[in-house]
Amino acid sequence: MSDDAGLWLIFVLIGLATTLPRASFIVLGERASLPDVVQRALRYAPAAALAAIVVPDVVLVAGAVEVFNPKLGAAIAAVLAARASRNPWLPFVAGMAALWGLRWVAG
Amino acid sequence: MSPSFRAGARVGFRACLPVSVGLVPWALVTGLAMVGAGFSTAQAMGMSLIVFGATAQLGTLPLIVAGAPLWLIVATALVVNLRFLIFSAALARPLAGGRPGLRWLCGYLLTDGVFATMLERLRTEPDPAWRLGAYLAPSLWCALVWQSSTLVGVLAAGSIPRNWSLEFMASIALLVLLVPMARMRPMLVSAATGGVLAVVLRGMPLKLGVMVAIVGGIAAGFAAEHWQGREARR
Repeated sequence: MSDDAGLWLIFVLIGLATTLPRASFIVLGERASLPDVVQRALRYAPAAALAAIVVPDVVLVAGAVEVFNPKLGAAIAAVLAARASRNPWLPFVAGMAALWGLRWVAG
Repeated sequence: MSPSFRAGARVGFRACLPVSVGLVPWALVTGLAMVGAGFSTAQAMGMSLIVFGATAQLGTLPLIVAGAPLWLIVATALVVNLRFLIFSAALARPLAGGRPGLRWLCGYLLTDGVFATMLERLRTEPDPAWRLGAYLAPSLWCALVWQSSTLVGVLAAGSIPRNWSLEFMASIALLVLLVPMARMRPMLVSAATGGVLAVVLRGMPLKLGVMVAIVGGIAAGFAAEHWQGREARR
């Protein structure tokens, strides 16, 4: 941390490691498009990626699976709110209220 | 700006508003974490502007603090960002045709939330100007929300109670995105597989388990689509 120039070098390299994958195919454009079958398979990327990020977050407590935890209860409340209403804020209100409520009940 | 660019921009902006709300707590947390790692305000905002990626930033912070070798820091950032190769490939066709500078900007601004929210509409809309507007407007908005919230986190470091767990709003935002997708059976199979694999493979080093889970989820969804098609033809 003492070496300020070294830190900025790290930032630039991490920035490249983030921007190059993001820009890759968008910048290459038509010169490097993926086959159609891959394109169709890629339609599932968002659902798979979002679930892969969010599911561990709501079922794991300190690295171990715990089915009865406030975060999972809050997640269920948020999903039910999203299914029941088109109001974009309701899932956030329901989810956070459930999280705080369940934590308070659990002590 | 053509009228169809503006029409696309309006649709994209409105569709991505909930996602941008979910960014606020994450950006606050990332700002707090960078100050916690010992960065000055300039260093923290520099990292935020150069990298613009929560996973890469939060994932490399402990390594930087521990004085890990440079190659390990960069390799870690690369691995957690591999999913963007898939996203970028999916967006190549919808965003094709613009100037190279504009496409670099589109690449730099690529985020999970805008990608997941807009991909289906970007794939089906025939007007290139509409597609560019529908991608760029919410992406720029999310970058603005992200950077200003990070700045608030950096400046407010230490005075926001951690036990509010505001970062959970990001998880809620991801769930809100999943709900309409899960109405299609193959998408549900894909999400369930991705979620379960990510939990089972959480022990894999360098967050590789998340990559394997995403690839597995995509394969499962594709297989389910194929299978459903065969059932329907009978």
